[in-house]
Amino acid sequence: MKIKEMLENIKKEFPYIGTEIQEEKQARIYVCNDKFLNILTYLRNEKFEHLANIFAIDWIDEKEFEINYNLWSYEYLVSIIVKVRIPRDKAKIPTALNIWDHAQIYEREVHEFFGIEFIGNPDLSPLFLHNWKDLPPMRKDFDTEAFSRKAFDVGEREGEK
Amino acid sequence: MLDKIQKDREKRQSAWEAVINYFRKRSLYMLHYCTGCGAIELPPIMTSRWDMERFGIAPMATPRQADILLVTGYASQKTIKRLIYTYEQMPNPKWVLGFGSCTINGGIYWDSYNVINKLDRYIPIDLFISGCMPRPQSILSAMKKLQEMIGKGEAKGYERYKQNYEWYKKNQRKLLERETPFLDGGEK
Ligand code: SF4
Repeated sequence: MKIKEMLENIKKEFPYIGTEIQEEKQARIYVCNDKFLNILTYLRNEKFEHLANIFAIDWIDEKEFEINYNLWSYEYLVSIIVKVRIPRDKAKIPTALNIWDHAQIYEREVHEFFGIEFIGNPDLSPLFLHNWKDLPPMRKDFDTEAFSRKAFDVGEREGEK
Repeated sequence: MLDKIQKDREKRQSAWEAVINYFRKRSLYMLHYCTGCGAIELPPIMTSRWDMERFGIAPMATPRQADILLVTGYASQKTIKRLIYTYEQMPNPKWVLGFGSCTINGGIYWDSYNVINKLDRYIPIDLFISGCMPRPQSILSAMKKLQEMIGKGEAKGYERYKQNYEWYKKNQRKLLERETPFLDGGEK
């Protein structure tokens, strides 16, 4: 099946989504917050059974986070990214744990680096960072340079005014 | 009279030290702590291309038997904790080589939230090798320089660590055991 037909089929099922073909084997689906679990379940049943990763993008000017679910199909050898936008303030999103078990660890990571709450995920404890007390470091409002100067006692560098 | 005895003893001791140092510098076992990109430069140094063994330096797999700790590149906050464990496990006398710009001032990761900037604040470094990354030749020349320093009794990082133990510990604790955020508006 061609990717175009595939997207048309999905669109027939869910008329409210936005789609975009990027390459021959890559497509994006834009969907709003409260419907995305339906799409994910549908895609999983349609042979997109591999969740490669979950990642977030901080659109700070638009005051939104974008959560991305990167799916892969072994049957069609096609990758689809499902993009969900949520408001940035006290960001919350339902977990995808019921669809893929291993979403747990990805959500935990996203929670650690962006501070996004995944409702229904039982374990969002810190994973990579050591004794982290500041804002989650991948958020755009986190000032890494100021942090580095303060935490590692750099002070002024040579050649700086 | 007492003075003379004291002086004699010191002289004998330093002569003894010099002999010991002469032998020490010819038998060095190196623990390579491959944290950053730099590890890729080590195989050619150890093997026949540059062959560090002809200078009496051999690789070692465990800290308890090692004399040199080679830190190859950036150290993150998590790494630095392991690095300190490793360093403290090594028996005296021990030396540390800081490899690459990242150990000197953070290198290209100088403003990263996770890469420490000056490794020298947490463990004592005897010799830095600059470059990103240093070529094998510069590593070899650093090793020869380190041998020279050991022979002259100049490489005293481990004594510095002992004498300034509190200062090093304070820096380590400030980073690893912090209880409050570094920046205002911390806490998620
Ligand atoms: S100094 Fe350069 S090569 Fe070495 S760890 Fe840092 S970035 Fe990598």
